[in-house]
Amino acid sequence: MKQTIYLMAIREALDEELQRDDKVFILGEDVQQGTFGTTTGLVDKFGPERIMDTPLAETAVAGAAIGAAQAGFRPVADMMFGDFMYIAGDEIMLKAAKWRFLHGGKVNVPVVIMAAVGGGMKLGAEHSMIPEAMIMHTPGLKLAVPSTPYDAKGLLKTAIRDDNPVVFFYHKGLLGLPGEIPEDEYLIPFGQADVKREGSDVTVVATSAMVQQSLAVAEQIKDKVSVEIVDPRTLEPFDLDTIIESVKKTGRVVIVDEDTKRCGITAEIGMQIMENGFDYLDAPIQRVAAANMPIAAGFMEEHVLPQPKNIAGAIEAVMA
Amino acid sequence: MELTQDQLIKLYTLMVRTRKCDELIVNALKSGKAIGFFHSGQGSEAVPIGACTFNLRDDDYLYPHHRGHGIGYMLARGLSPKPFVASHMGRVAQDVEGPTARERGIHGGSGTIGASFVLSAGMGITAKKNGKNQITACFFGDGSANRGTLHEAMNLASVWKLPIVWVCENNLYAQYMPLKDSMAREDIADLASGYNMPGVIVDGQDVLAVHEAVKAAVDRARAGEGPSLVECKTYRYRGHSEGGPDISHYEPRPAKELEEWKKRDPIKLFRENLLQQGVLTDADVERIDKEIEAEAETLEKYADECPIPKPEDPSVLDRLLYAE
Repeated sequence: MKQTIYLMAIREALDEELQRDDKVFILGEDVQQGTFGTTTGLVDKFGPERIMDTPLAETAVAGAAIGAAQAGFRPVADMMFGDFMYIAGDEIMLKAAKWRFLHGGKVNVPVVIMAAVGGGMKLGAEHSMIPEAMIMHTPGLKLAVPSTPYDAKGLLKTAIRDDNPVVFFYHKGLLGLPGEIPEDEYLIPFGQADVKREGSDVTVVATSAMVQQSLAVAEQIKDKVSVEIVDPRTLEPFDLDTIIESVKKTGRVVIVDEDTKRCGITAEIGMQIMENGFDYLDAPIQRVAAANMPIAAGFMEEHVLPQPKNIAGAIEAVMA
Repeated sequence: MELTQDQLIKLYTLMVRTRKCDELIVNALKSGKAIGFFHSGQGSEAVPIGACTFNLRDDDYLYPHHRGHGIGYMLARGLSPKPFVASHMGRVAQDVEGPTARERGIHGGSGTIGASFVLSAGMGITAKKNGKNQITACFFGDGSANRGTLHEAMNLASVWKLPIVWVCENNLYAQYMPLKDSMAREDIADLASGYNMPGVIVDGQDVLAVHEAVKAAVDRARAGEGPSLVECKTYRYRGHSEGGPDISHYEPRPAKELEEWKKRDPIKLFRENLLQQGVLTDADVERIDKEIEAEAETLEKYADECPIPKPEDPSVLDRLLYAE
């Protein structure tokens, strides 16, 4: 194993896949410099023909990546901020997601749409979203939401090799997160949740940065409550089995997510647990998510996005 | 290179077949046999046939315009019309001979208008990366010329000198909206100057003029000189969608307008030209008409016998959603 940080793990995954397969290329706004460091330096090794700086034109970034994918390449479109994916809604939600289906399975769209997501940096309503629900809601798109350097690298390599469109959300608040990854190549299959912390009193289901926040809370309250944390790692495909196994053990569930609460992934996951694990529940499911409003700018951000105190409060409530 | 007599006759025959297939679906909708939408392309056959029959290689990429639901493009590229006819009747085509759409680089058929611009830019990137002098031909209408995707894609294609030929089938109406009330200029070809690429206007009723203009643009793209825009001035004879009104804004389209355009019907014009040149005789014309009439009858009977999909096993749809 070796030490790295989240953004380096992402860069390493891109580097290895660019090296392995000449059909892989990256395009996006300022990917040669890399706005968040995830693509920085790759142009020195692979050249501007494969690390392509585009005009400021998100529709063209996503659309061109999807067109090239249909024609047999494996592009990685970097949308910069997850919020900017809304600009390319037709391309991502209709063309990438539906075109294999509506072309009778004769056209694959092996594209990766990656974007930096999430709050914590006080960047305001249109640079702080983690639009997980929008993607998980759309049949035809896979969605990876890594919470550690290890997961980020392994999931991104799998995403690039997948013959289907994959949305890969890397969290801005995790970019500098340290962690260990193997020296040798590894991939993480989609649809396999990971138990990030074992416990016996309550199951916390969390994604992306909320995994790290939940881990910190669990550590703080460990003398009072034994918290198990399950990270789905991919929301589509979604590994319900691992969650249900955990619920059988704990009987109590808190779902933590940074996307909007209303119709958010906490609602979907909660309902799936109700449908498939109701008999194992000893208390109503609690959920922690962003308030039903735009993410406020500056110091007001914390009044919209879930905070450690909200997670601790929900755990307390479910244990009561 | 001048087209041979055989090639001229092929262009003529393809236009007549395109018209006939289009009429077949229009009639099948009227009789209740066909299902769903149909957006007729009658009146504009010279655009797909002139542009695509002799200018494209098998490994080029092609995004068709939605008029006629792409039948002109399919026929020009040597595809069987069987899947087109069967699918409009809601049936699964059987025993299809000849190349598939994929084998002739035909992509798309988009439910949203203007998506093809940016997807074509991706095909252009692919063509350039492959290094085999492939090109991408992207067809669009006057309506989609108002989409922002046009700007993003045409600019990107020109900056990166992508081998793309943009062909506008300007039939003067976007659903019920006349071009004169929806675009700040008369000629869509003018847009080209904004992207530092050639833009030409061509008579979209003249199949040879379309062939020549697109050929020049294709040659330029293949030579690595970047994209071009060809605007074909044409007209659609029927309303936007079968069963819907044939109107401009909310009033009937002027009858005189249709009358004037029909005087310059692309099939009629080319037939007169070929008769005059002695390439075709009256007897040839009659024979071609009869053959295509017979083909249409056969196609309709064929479609009647194709099965309606019955996914007793719901996993049929599941398998379409994701590749393994």
